[in-house]
Amino acid sequence: MPTQPTDDEHGQPTEPVSRSAAGVRAGAHARGGQPEAAAEVAPSPSPSPPAPAGMRTGAHARGSQRDIAAPAEPAAPAAPAAPAAATTAPPAPASSGPAASSFGSVQHGHDPEAVRARLAAMPRPSADDPRVLLDRTSDADLFEPIPPYPTRTEREAEFYSLGDGEMFLNVGPQHPATHGVLRLVLKLSGEQVVDVDPVIGYLHRGVEKICENSDYYHVIDQVDPLEYISSLFQEWAAVLTFEKLMDVQVPRRAEYIRVLTSELLRIASHSLYMGFLALDLGGITPILYGFIERDEIVEMLASVTGARMLFNYFRIGGVNGDLNHEFMSRLGDWMSRAAKETEANATLLNENEIFVRRARGVGVLDRETALRMGVTGGNLRASGVAFDVRRAHPYSVYPELQFNVPTRDEGDSLARYLIRVDEVRESIRIIDQCLHNMPDGPIMAKLPRLLRPRPGRAWGAVEGPRGMMGVYAISDGSDQPFRFRIHDPSLLNLETVPLLLPGNLLADTMAIVSSLDPVMGGVDK
Amino acid sequence: MSFATRTWTRMSIPARLLAIFIPLAVVLAIATVLVIVVLGGPFVDFLAANLPLVRFFVTATAVLLMTVPTAFVIIYLELKVIARMNLRIGPNRVGPWGAAMSVIHGLKVLSKEDFAPTGVDLPVFTLAPVVTYLASVMTLLVIPFAPGLFGQDLNIGVLYFFAMGGLTVVGLLMAGWSSFNKYSLLGGLRSAAQIVSYEIPLTLSAVGVVVLAGTMSMNHIVLAQSGSVFDWFVFKQPLAVIIFFIAATAEANRAPFDLTEADSEIVAGFGTEYSGMRFGFFYFAEYVNVFIVSALITTLFFGGWTAPFNWPWAYNLNWLDFSNGTLWVGIAFVALVVGTDVMAVLVRLLGGSTWSLPGTMILGFAFATVVAVGVVGLAGFIAFDWVQGLFWFMAKTYAFVFVFVWLRATLPRVRVDQLMGFAWKWLLPASLLNLFVTATAVVLLSR
Amino acid sequence: MDRSLRRHLELRLATHLRGPVRQYPDQTEIRIEAGSLVEVLRTLHDDPGLRFEILADLAGVDTGKVMQVVYHLWSERTPDWLRVIVDGLSRDDPRVPSATFLWIGAEWLEREAYDMFGIVFEGNRDLRRILMPADYTSFPLRKDFYLPDDAARSPGAGTRHVERPHAPAVVADDPNAGIRRAPVS
Repeated sequence: MPTQPTDDEHGQPTEPVSRSAAGVRAGAHARGGQPEAAAEVAPSPSPSPPAPAGMRTGAHARGSQRDIAAPAEPAAPAAPAAPAAATTAPPAPASSGPAASSFGSVQHGHDPEAVRARLAAMPRPSADDPRVLLDRTSDADLFEPIPPYPTRTEREAEFYSLGDGEMFLNVGPQHPATHGVLRLVLKLSGEQVVDVDPVIGYLHRGVEKICENSDYYHVIDQVDPLEYISSLFQEWAAVLTFEKLMDVQVPRRAEYIRVLTSELLRIASHSLYMGFLALDLGGITPILYGFIERDEIVEMLASVTGARMLFNYFRIGGVNGDLNHEFMSRLGDWMSRAAKETEANATLLNENEIFVRRARGVGVLDRETALRMGVTGGNLRASGVAFDVRRAHPYSVYPELQFNVPTRDEGDSLARYLIRVDEVRESIRIIDQCLHNMPDGPIMAKLPRLLRPRPGRAWGAVEGPRGMMGVYAISDGSDQPFRFRIHDPSLLNLETVPLLLPGNLLADTMAIVSSLDPVMGGVDK
Repeated sequence: MSFATRTWTRMSIPARLLAIFIPLAVVLAIATVLVIVVLGGPFVDFLAANLPLVRFFVTATAVLLMTVPTAFVIIYLELKVIARMNLRIGPNRVGPWGAAMSVIHGLKVLSKEDFAPTGVDLPVFTLAPVVTYLASVMTLLVIPFAPGLFGQDLNIGVLYFFAMGGLTVVGLLMAGWSSFNKYSLLGGLRSAAQIVSYEIPLTLSAVGVVVLAGTMSMNHIVLAQSGSVFDWFVFKQPLAVIIFFIAATAEANRAPFDLTEADSEIVAGFGTEYSGMRFGFFYFAEYVNVFIVSALITTLFFGGWTAPFNWPWAYNLNWLDFSNGTLWVGIAFVALVVGTDVMAVLVRLLGGSTWSLPGTMILGFAFATVVAVGVVGLAGFIAFDWVQGLFWFMAKTYAFVFVFVWLRATLPRVRVDQLMGFAWKWLLPASLLNLFVTATAVVLLSR
Repeated sequence: MDRSLRRHLELRLATHLRGPVRQYPDQTEIRIEAGSLVEVLRTLHDDPGLRFEILADLAGVDTGKVMQVVYHLWSERTPDWLRVIVDGLSRDDPRVPSATFLWIGAEWLEREAYDMFGIVFEGNRDLRRILMPADYTSFPLRKDFYLPDDAARSPGAGTRHVERPHAPAVVADDPNAGIRRAPVS
């Protein structure tokens, strides 16, 4: 197997070089930004001269760690010396490996001893790497989810030390019931959970980074797959924030259409929630009824947005398409049955003794903890805090609509489930009002084709089915957002898991995680 | 390339199969005829001298052979019934109305790779499905399917049944322990705890029946319920029926007590590391378990093979004279040919021209066979009491199988501590109470 | 645009504010330094006139010159969102006190800010990577981390081979080149 050349075909060395301060500054957006006083962005610098051979400016220490075509040698930082003061790599906690951890190219069939020696000399790779098998000393190590690196933090050390009679159980990313790719490392004492370490990031797609390189229109498309079950809410949060940045007035008809479609999607998302909660508890029928419910709604939305799941429907200043005849006929047909059908689906679980006994009193999240955790949405309202963004900080036409914000005090899984049942009822009320009060008019504000907002910052939040979906956007005057931060409710909902699970049995694990309704797309961005 | 190789590569697959099997069949036929001619006589004499042994072997073989089609039928039933309860259709592609689905499942598990993961205890790992399967199957020996149609009429039949049924827990524990997997361990231990806990209410509620019937022989328990439908023990032991049904659901690891294989918590429980035919054994064992538990409920409480009502008119088929065998063979042949044509015509008329001629004829033959079997079955039903008994027994058993499937479609799972609490705090005292009341009543009424 | 909120903030946090309290139609913004964070957050949370009990968001920002950590808070006493910008963190060694003493939920948000920017939150018991793999050594959302499609804008044209422009593949004239067929017998 040929080794990688140390110089690439352009004559530049492929070893990483530490960054220089000059390169760092040059790395900022090299676009024209208005030098407004309020702007925080670095003013566009004159581009630095082309880097001389041997000096890699603006490069971080390592590229993708998973890049198999990495250079063969563990990269020596002592490359041709950078003339400017070589700034150190960003601070890392004490026990991280040196910047130059490279797997190298493993030469199979040659000398296993040499390979082992070289691997032993390097910091050990993560347990996900298949090449770790070469270094394995016993079979038992293969199955323990103990991290193969020295524990990095206080909490990690506390978690990964076993007491008497305890064992680790890895409810791994591939599991029939973890709502997506979520890894829960459980510390069990028999059947009782003692501690949990959730590991997320399996679905991380770098949406925020991509959005920094996208137009304001592309952002809407990128942000859809975050909480893919209820994607209009992310679009709404993004669009709301951009409208604040650009001072855009959305026509009233567009606002009503937004509310109508979003509330429909909230019902669809809650139907699915009920189905999955029942499925994780072992009932295989409610999920199919929930999907029937969702299918009708999603077909309705497909007739007006063109897509069944990732809608790409909201635009800055309005929505993409007006309501049409098919949508109205489907909606009218569904509304005539909606209340009865949703009640029937809910009573399938409400009146099921086994379900109620498994959900009542399980995973209790009290009011104070919920506030300290930053939990929002149905989970917070089930713990007694009546915080709903639609009422707390109204946006769109919600001030004109009449609806209640259901709240419960118990904070257990049953309360979280019942809150969502109540929310479905409220959503039907809102849809009814929207249909009655739908104004005429345009559905899009007049906007220039190329959107360049003034430099500034804005925050906007909407109430999604899982909680408060917020967006913090910074504009630097160019046609791409300078920083696009998405705050997803599922992340904080999931963060309560290490507080809720300990003390409960393994069987309740999935019930509790399910009742919090996490969507991993949003958690991982 | 030689002529043989060239011809072989040019043949289609059916041709290749025929080219292998026809010569093989010819050789085997000749060999069989020779064996029969040479050794046939002494062999038959040996068998005639040891009739009970013959009976035992035939019974055991029949029972073993019966389990797989039973499991197939119940699996298909479950798929279709649960689908209908979920407002969907279920399998409908692989046969008429998807009926060949179970066969396809069976072929699928046979065709998978047979491997054992690293770290398993291989002898225990391999034997666990065998133990579980055999534990379920051996109980079929004592179940009376019809008057005279049972494996053995042990006079400790009920005890034997529960003893064999309890061996399942050994198999599940073996599976859970030998798979080098924490999920399997949890599943195996859960199942051990569950089955052992629920065996006590199960047996205690059956003891009430034993006290009423005065015997542990299953055949005699059924005979004690013959007479009228109100002789069935369900009317004398209503509490025991309920306890027995719940405990039986737990014994069979069926919903809502299926936490040993709760796939939303512990992936597949004890069966996580099993695939292929090893898993197939567990799979079949579960459905055979459902069948035998339903059969036991039928036998103990619902009269076994006794009919709930008598035919209102007298009948007999003694006027049929079977002495002229050739005549009857001719009648059967003519009936099948005529029937095939009639059915083919019907299929053509009803199904339109979507079927080709061979397809129509095959379907016609299939339907004609079904009708013929139905006619013969009806004749048997009228003529032989064991056919009647078998029919009633199967009807009642499958009614309970349907109820088990219905429960699975409807109910979520019970948590393990709720399960154990229910068994020890509710079912056990209830079954003791039932036994006490039954025994008191029997003593008082016999004075 | 809650004027009373602005007055209240200027009164209670006078020594900590680094710049005027800016107000937008539905947001109020203050800037502080890292050293004041603990006191400011505690005041905002506990003061009976402020009572910012809900932490809406905790984000890191890399402006190219400095790093910032931006908190968004909500109180039921005011209709405005409050944005607290901790400004002036150096890009090479950004350190901020952790907000976990007040909001436990900030733990994962701070882990995310660390993971994406390298900002070290002192006092966070569990400051390890949350989205990227555990042994990843870069901080992706920093402005000097380039995506391949952005490489043209970076002065060094990227160091990873995916960032470098490659010559297009040579297409042979023979349509069967590169396709291996079994020899026809």
